[in-house]
Amino acid sequence: MSGMLNFDFLDDVRRMNKRQLYYQFLNFGMIVSSALMIWKGLMVVTGSESPIVVVLSGSMEPAFHRGDLLFLTNYKEEPIRVGEIVVFKIEGRDIPIVHRVLKVHEKEDGSVKFLTKGDNNSVDDRGLYAPGQLWLDKKDVVGRARGFVPYVGIVTILMNDYPKFKYAILICLGIFVLVHRE
Amino acid sequence: MASADKNGKWSLDGKPIKIDKWDTAALKNALDDSAKNVLIKNHGYVEHHGLMDGRLLICTIAVAFAMFALVWDYFKPFPESRPILILCVTSYFVLMGILTVYTTYKERGIFLVALEKDRAGMDPDNIWTLSSSLRKYDDIYHICLTFTDGKTKEERKTEISKSVASFFDENGVLCTDLYEPEIEKMRESLTTDKKGK
Repeated sequence: MSGMLNFDFLDDVRRMNKRQLYYQFLNFGMIVSSALMIWKGLMVVTGSESPIVVVLSGSMEPAFHRGDLLFLTNYKEEPIRVGEIVVFKIEGRDIPIVHRVLKVHEKEDGSVKFLTKGDNNSVDDRGLYAPGQLWLDKKDVVGRARGFVPYVGIVTILMNDYPKFKYAILICLGIFVLVHRE
Repeated sequence: MASADKNGKWSLDGKPIKIDKWDTAALKNALDDSAKNVLIKNHGYVEHHGLMDGRLLICTIAVAFAMFALVWDYFKPFPESRPILILCVTSYFVLMGILTVYTTYKERGIFLVALEKDRAGMDPDNIWTLSSSLRKYDDIYHICLTFTDGKTKEERKTEISKSVASFFDENGVLCTDLYEPEIEKMRESLTTDKKGK
């Protein structure tokens, strides 16, 4: 009996019939789906494959600090200009970089080459680019910063620094939703 | 277990239903399930799953859209997948809207539709529906039993509103010996009406 007591919180689930059980999983699925669809919806609206990013380094201080949340847009028709803050991807690096545009070259056919630099760095980004790469292209751009919320993203940084902590939280939340009947 | 039985407490596996009494959802579920049992188990009415199936269908389609968007976006990364994403996102939110409308106007808290088969098998089935509501920070549980005569299509209704405290003990154990007779009384009030005519 004492062994059973530990599973008392499962009683709600054990009383369910097949439909209720299925609905329980659907409910879980819908929570995940809602988050996913909001994210994909933002992607469509902003045109950026990652409309919200977290600043991970101090290279843009004092404009952005570690943990700031950035809101990005990536409309094709808006030209890239010197002084704008762009988020771009580099081949061979998983994490996109947030830096300011330093130089832009535009051709008449619409192709663009540009160079970036972090406000807090003493040199431009050529050392960060892929070996042999001197300029960034339009296809490298993830988005341009349009707004930011300070420090909120620190939670994300903590979670990335301690992956076990992240999975523990996710698993706990998942189990709670599955076990708890609405 | 024997002592529990003596108290008339009941559950599927012979264990009394014990819940966290501060959890409104759990309170409502326990009461709903128990009321359902009075009609299904004690009277042998047949549960009709149409309403629930409707909701399950809407949810399944919505989740399917979301999963499809996820898979599609994985194989055809973003700018290429845009049209499909627009389709999936709008369908998903439209379906969520439909689900809200469905639960507020179609289900309206109905958690059981049960058919009472005509003994002779000649007349259409009588329909019993149970609906309930319990506000989040309120202790008053409203339960409503509706009877629709299969032959005359006449509808009769009875409801009670009582504090949940009258059906649960201090530890959060459902007192079926207090609760089920209430439901039984409601049921009888509707059937005797019929005989009175």
